[in-house]
Amino acid sequence: MPEKGIIFDIKELTVHDGPGPRITVFVKGCPLRCRWCHNPEGLTAKPQLLWKENLCVHCGRCFVPCGHEECRPYGRCLHACERGALSIAGEEMTAAQLAKRLRGYEDMLKMMGGGITFSGGEPLMQPEFVYECAELLGGFHLAIQTSGYASPEVYRRIISRMDYVLQDIKLADPEAHRAWTGVDNAPILENIRWLKESGRQFVFRVPLIPGITDTPENLTAIAGIAGEHRVELMPYNTMAGAKYAMVGMKYTLGSEPNRAMDYTRFFENAVML
Amino acid sequence: MSEYLRRYIVDKKHHQFRKDHPELEHLAERFAGEELSPKERMTRRFELAASLEEPVLLPEEQICFMRTVKKLPDCFTQDEWDEIKKHHFIHELGYMSNLSPNYERVIAGGLLAEREKADEYGVRIIDAILDLTERYRRKAMEEGREDIAQVLARVPAYGATNFREALQSFRIIHYSLWLEGDYHVTTGRFDKYMYPYLKADMDRGLYTRESALELLEDFFLSFNKDSDLYPGVQQGDNGQSMVLGGIDENGRPVFNLLSELCLEASRHLMLIDPKINLRVDKNTPLRIYELGSELTKAGLGFPQYSNDDVVIKGLEKLGYEHKDACDYVVAACWEFIIPKVGADVANIAALSFPKVVDVCLHRDLESCDTFEAFMDCIREEIGRECDEICGGIQDLWFVPSPLMNIMIDGGVYDGAKYNNFGIHGTGIATAADSLAVISKYVYDEKRFDAKTLIEAVDSDFAEHGELLPLLRNEAPKMGNNEDLPDSLGVDLLGSFAASLKGRKNCRGGIYRAGTGTAMYYLWHADQIGASPDGRRAGEPFGTNFSASLFARINGPLSVVRSFTKPDFTDSINGGPLTMEFAASMFRDPDSVSKVAALVKAFIDMGGHQMQLNAVNSELLRDAQIHPEEHRQLVVRIWGWSAYFVELDRAYQDHVLARQQYVV
Repeated sequence: MPEKGIIFDIKELTVHDGPGPRITVFVKGCPLRCRWCHNPEGLTAKPQLLWKENLCVHCGRCFVPCGHEECRPYGRCLHACERGALSIAGEEMTAAQLAKRLRGYEDMLKMMGGGITFSGGEPLMQPEFVYECAELLGGFHLAIQTSGYASPEVYRRIISRMDYVLQDIKLADPEAHRAWTGVDNAPILENIRWLKESGRQFVFRVPLIPGITDTPENLTAIAGIAGEHRVELMPYNTMAGAKYAMVGMKYTLGSEPNRAMDYTRFFENAVML
Repeated sequence: MSEYLRRYIVDKKHHQFRKDHPELEHLAERFAGEELSPKERMTRRFELAASLEEPVLLPEEQICFMRTVKKLPDCFTQDEWDEIKKHHFIHELGYMSNLSPNYERVIAGGLLAEREKADEYGVRIIDAILDLTERYRRKAMEEGREDIAQVLARVPAYGATNFREALQSFRIIHYSLWLEGDYHVTTGRFDKYMYPYLKADMDRGLYTRESALELLEDFFLSFNKDSDLYPGVQQGDNGQSMVLGGIDENGRPVFNLLSELCLEASRHLMLIDPKINLRVDKNTPLRIYELGSELTKAGLGFPQYSNDDVVIKGLEKLGYEHKDACDYVVAACWEFIIPKVGADVANIAALSFPKVVDVCLHRDLESCDTFEAFMDCIREEIGRECDEICGGIQDLWFVPSPLMNIMIDGGVYDGAKYNNFGIHGTGIATAADSLAVISKYVYDEKRFDAKTLIEAVDSDFAEHGELLPLLRNEAPKMGNNEDLPDSLGVDLLGSFAASLKGRKNCRGGIYRAGTGTAMYYLWHADQIGASPDGRRAGEPFGTNFSASLFARINGPLSVVRSFTKPDFTDSINGGPLTMEFAASMFRDPDSVSKVAALVKAFIDMGGHQMQLNAVNSELLRDAQIHPEEHRQLVVRIWGWSAYFVELDRAYQDHVLARQQYVV
């Protein structure tokens, strides 16, 4: 039996996930817990109930016992809400199933000069699934968006299958990295060292989180790591907290945007997205 | 452009010159008392209105002529209309509309040359235009605006000799057609017939790109001076469409510097007129789509794209001559018509697909053993609906317009070279989704029976309410690239086209099937109750050729895939796939280029027509609460753009209900 992967979204026509217009596959599960994460439903590697409070009229129909096998884990009926307030984030599927779905768009993506991007969550959390997808998606332009938090073996094995890498660098300081993302950045930095020498096409991605990552100290340090390589700076998403309530979590950062300043000046070769 | 002039018009300061005239009161009664012929009435009304017009030159404008006569009275009394309608089919207001006049000929040759060939009414109207022009010229002399006076000494009496004269001549003729009472007067292939004037002037060194753009913007402003006086379903629905690009009859691309300047002028002015359309084909370079997407980003709902590869072939299949088909333009919204020689009535009626489903649901479903048998009933019912629609259009009559008669080659009083009728096809996704529910759940899976479904629909889901989540949220929907609903959509459209094929209309023309809805997305939706797709009573259909409003759609690629499945060469009356993108999608140039690539893919895959909107919902919601703060906020409605705050609530809500794609 081929290993199943779990994804929480397939988004069509993504415009910031690599060259050309793309389809982005969001793989579920992430080893990091970045406090600014705007996809909280991508954090755990298990299917999860999403409750859209703004659509809910508290009619209680979803609490009526339904007997559906698929509803059992959630204690709610997933088929009871006419307003669509309940859904599941996390669909388990084999690489072959996913590849088949994506094949349906091959000609369009080629016409547009785009491709497929694996994002997440952290796609390197499900390396076998992603690897097998890549095998089955020959002919597509493939990209991956990753934190880089994986063993060198996993990292190199997957990255070698990709045409393009969007490699995050969030915080250069190990202590700060642990504090804000929950993990050590040493494995990430090691993988980045390899990436720079690998000959693969890549771009660095830096999320600008006010007062956390967008400080001159951090950006200067990241610029040192990035060198002459291209860096894409991503302004703080002030709506980042929007989905937390849906998964019963609380967003702890504010909704103030970045300061109005030219963040590219810290870098040799950076653009704002 | 003069920003001062733009503000002047945006702030409606020019409205101060408008007047009501007692001379125009009870005009129809007086005409009736004298038992005047329709042509005599049209001519007299024009002469009277033109004589009441007062020349006004706005500060800093280069292109003049605007309405000061506020309201144009009807030429016929209500009793007379009632009598006329006993004997004739009257389309909309009864006056000529949705035509694309031969500006090219008249700008080049001048009105005096036309006067030689015109009938007595045409002669009188031309004289009235020239008289008003002369009064404008004298006014310009008085005010020391000699450049304007000089232009008016030449046009429109004589042929234009340069770009500015050509623009001014256009303006006067366009203004006059509206003053005659014609409406939805379109501008045709503007970049094709105007470019030679600009090019000659630039070759002579008279204009740079910048100064040409400035003049063009001044000219574009003129479309916005009187447009609130024009008739339409809502403010903004005035049909001043402009078509750019495309191929000529030899297959060569037309897109030129003027096309580019028009896209730019529209983007700078941020006004709802003229409404920009861009003709493209499989050879159109991405760069042109990128220029188009730059304009989309501005949020005006322009440009609307149409695919020459499909439209020309489709029109030829309907019997249009190759050179005419190659010259196609759009009418007020998206209906494909032929400029200069055509008198098609491209929006004469509409077929409601969901109504067909509703009729068969109640009449046939319980007695059909197979879904295929039910689909036969659907196809037959479409035929019957077409019988009824076409049978009801007999003895079509328009109020004869002497000036429009001059502007269409060979005249237009009793039709012209092409006299075909276009029928919209509305609610296709609602109908296809409803059929998908019947196919999947009633016949294949037997989850519920016909009686249950009918009871649910008839009670607006008060009964069997448990079906609603399934039907609304889990049933297959057109737009998700699923075979079942998509193929049913293809079937419906194909049956519609086949039903109209071979029918002759009362003017000797044929019928054309289309994919537009116009305002029927509200009107037809109110004619039926709920539908089997889980649509509740009172919920509108999608706009034109689009997914159902509440359908959960995978994304733009699936939509494009689903909505390029039909062979549009058999149903080419017009009606675009409409998609709304969050304004944030257009943040950087790279993203704009990627949206352009999607449009190009749609065209390359055989889509016929597409229209994209950059929407900022938060702004729209705020505008509903604080209209006074958002007077200039523009949205696309069904084939035209409007100032959001000037719309009725139902149309505002429809825009907000459409699914938006975000980054």
